[in-house]
Amino acid sequence: MVKSWKPFFVTILIVLVLFPFIYLLLLSMSSGWAFPQIIPSNFGFDNWKAITQSEVGLFTALMNSILIALTVASIATFGGFILSRIVAYHKQKNSLILISYFPYILSPVVFGACLSFFFMKVNLFGNMGGVIIAQLIISLPYALIFFGSFWNEKNRNIENLVATLGGNKIVSFVKVLLPLAKGLLLVCFFQTFLISWFEYGLTAIIGLGKVQTLTIKVFLYIKEANFFYGALSSCLLIMPPVILLYLNKRFVFNRMS
Amino acid sequence: MKISEPMLLKNRGNIGILLFFGVIIMPFAIAFLYALLYSFGLVGILNDGFTIAYWLTVLSAPQLGYSFLYSALIAAVSVIFSVGLSLFTVLYLKKALNKPFINFMLYMPLAIPGIVSAFFTYQLFARTGFFSRLSYQLGIITEAASFPDLINDQFAFGIILTFISLLAPFFILFYLNLYKNENLEALERVAISLGANPKLATLKVSLPILLKKSQTVVLLYFIFLLGAYEVPLILGQESPQMLSVLILQELRQFDLNKIPEGYTMAVIYTSVVSLITFFIFRSQKNKVIHG
Amino acid sequence: MHLEIEKISKSYGNEEVIKDLSLQLEANKTLSILGKSGCGKTTMLKIIAGLTKPDNGSIKMAGKDISDLSPEKRGIVYLYQEDLLFPHLNVFENIAFGLRIRKENEADINRKVNEMLLFLELEKQAQRMPHELSGGQRQRVSFGRAIIINPSILLLDEPFGSLDSGTRQRMQHLFKDMADKFQITSLLVTHDLKEAILMGDQIGFMKKGRLQVYNSRDEFINDPQTGVQSELHFWEGLKNEKTEQL
Repeated sequence: MVKSWKPFFVTILIVLVLFPFIYLLLLSMSSGWAFPQIIPSNFGFDNWKAITQSEVGLFTALMNSILIALTVASIATFGGFILSRIVAYHKQKNSLILISYFPYILSPVVFGACLSFFFMKVNLFGNMGGVIIAQLIISLPYALIFFGSFWNEKNRNIENLVATLGGNKIVSFVKVLLPLAKGLLLVCFFQTFLISWFEYGLTAIIGLGKVQTLTIKVFLYIKEANFFYGALSSCLLIMPPVILLYLNKRFVFNRMS
Repeated sequence: MKISEPMLLKNRGNIGILLFFGVIIMPFAIAFLYALLYSFGLVGILNDGFTIAYWLTVLSAPQLGYSFLYSALIAAVSVIFSVGLSLFTVLYLKKALNKPFINFMLYMPLAIPGIVSAFFTYQLFARTGFFSRLSYQLGIITEAASFPDLINDQFAFGIILTFISLLAPFFILFYLNLYKNENLEALERVAISLGANPKLATLKVSLPILLKKSQTVVLLYFIFLLGAYEVPLILGQESPQMLSVLILQELRQFDLNKIPEGYTMAVIYTSVVSLITFFIFRSQKNKVIHG
Repeated sequence: MHLEIEKISKSYGNEEVIKDLSLQLEANKTLSILGKSGCGKTTMLKIIAGLTKPDNGSIKMAGKDISDLSPEKRGIVYLYQEDLLFPHLNVFENIAFGLRIRKENEADINRKVNEMLLFLELEKQAQRMPHELSGGQRQRVSFGRAIIINPSILLLDEPFGSLDSGTRQRMQHLFKDMADKFQITSLLVTHDLKEAILMGDQIGFMKKGRLQVYNSRDEFINDPQTGVQSELHFWEGLKNEKTEQL
């Protein structure tokens, strides 16, 4: 009987998964780590206290990230739901969906850079409003595609039934369609939240570095070679998705499929 | 049977489609048109009227061509390794992967964004990084400089590794779901009852089905990686660069004469990728009709 | 005449789904229409309900042209083969749905819904959610939800198609009782020959977008294209075989 290698591979898998989380957490609590040392000389919560110090700007970045992600997720989820209905009922449905993939597949930064002239013209360059709109350019099509499967024949028939029972468009939206889509709306909200939360390129280009989110901070700390704060901001970035995963795996997985 | 659209909508259908065009298509169209006009010298700070000079410069210089090739190679190698690793993991370990704890572990990597992943790769593989220290402690190297250059290197080791760390978790979950939804376990059982051994059943039944069903997603991820930005920005070398990094760098030149060349590159990149995407979707659609 | 349809037609591309269709229906009567799938019966019902716009022709109800009225203003309820209960509402609220839209007062809603529940023998299920009901119960809720708002016409598209044969028979009887008690005018399409004869005060036959309504049941039975004759031959053939064997 050949000995099975499966337990070995499973162990490697688990180690590979957990390693970055543990490493980043330890790095975020370290200071003073000269070259040949394999373990940092100082451990403690000093770095984490920096979150509360205003001159470091981490707290502001955290708040900016939360504010932007919540706004983007709300608008994208609601707008995507309505737009997906328009697309689903349109004769050229397939072409419209194909078009919706483009902003997501093409490099968003190149796309954003080509638009920056117009962002400047309407005073949306280097401020939070601009970053939110820029991020909507990718998260709205995502939400639109996400809701595509909701408008299946059964739900269309339900919508028709509500109409013949005497319900107008608002009634059918508020009393039937929204409650029916409740679960999907929640999943879409968290997924678009994460798209915004993880976004770097558009935020950097349209925000001009003035709108500091956590991803912008991570990049700055890498450039400054301040790895301890880099790891700290990384930990802050990773925390919400981990919590969401713990609550419901569907909140995080379903990207682009 | 035809599915009728509700009449309510029909009256407002035009407004709805205008909304779609305004929100989804217009930004894209404006960006492309602006880049196109800029590349022909028709708009921009230093425009002198129509010229094809920028196009000639971009097309005659090897920079963009190299960047395309380099990006395509990195994307292809990353996607192939990710798919291979995921298929191996799913097909070899599928029973173990369905245990709740291990299953949860599979989802964990999704919590790590690209920029953090790049940062982490840097931390591990830089000359003063974790593995360099480990090698030193084990006596393999005697100074930081003798650790092989794995970050910002010419073979894009760091970029590819980071891409794999981002893609493989996604593909593992994707294939695991596909395995369930396509009822491959039952199909494998049929193959075994027809006389195949379990290994053969996996290789001849599940593997080809998974590969075929994932074609579009694999191609989309390839295109997606072509345009990747923050990972090569952190881990890439000076030249050649990946497409997004190169185009962005050209667009933000201090030399204003160079900016139209950046827009020319943006137009070429957008056109090429759009065409590829279009053909992928079309060939997939034809397959559905003929299959 | 309660419902008058004159020369409606509808095409999708080159395909003419409804051709010059006319029919008249008296109040409190049921017209059953026999037709195979793809004969255009669903499109016809959707046109009457206002869910699909015909290319031409007119629809009048009680003498008034309703062709341009939107579906929610027609008072015509269209029931699908699937019961389409709202999964997020319990039985009581499903039945009360149309009354709540019309903003009737709470006391009236309670009285009417409880009356309906009693009639449907569903009073014990009032607080149940749709997924906790059997197929027959769900169909009864669906009927109750439609009839409680007193529609001017009820359109039924293969309403018993998804039920097993026992439940189907009970539902056919229940529907006849309801039609009597609540004075319902209805139009029912089915591909089941027996059901068409059993349910209709008047019977029609639909094929390739054309509808023929018969003046009497005998006329329907004697027309060879309805399939009644071949059915009769089949059973008579069996009977003759049996007597020959004896």
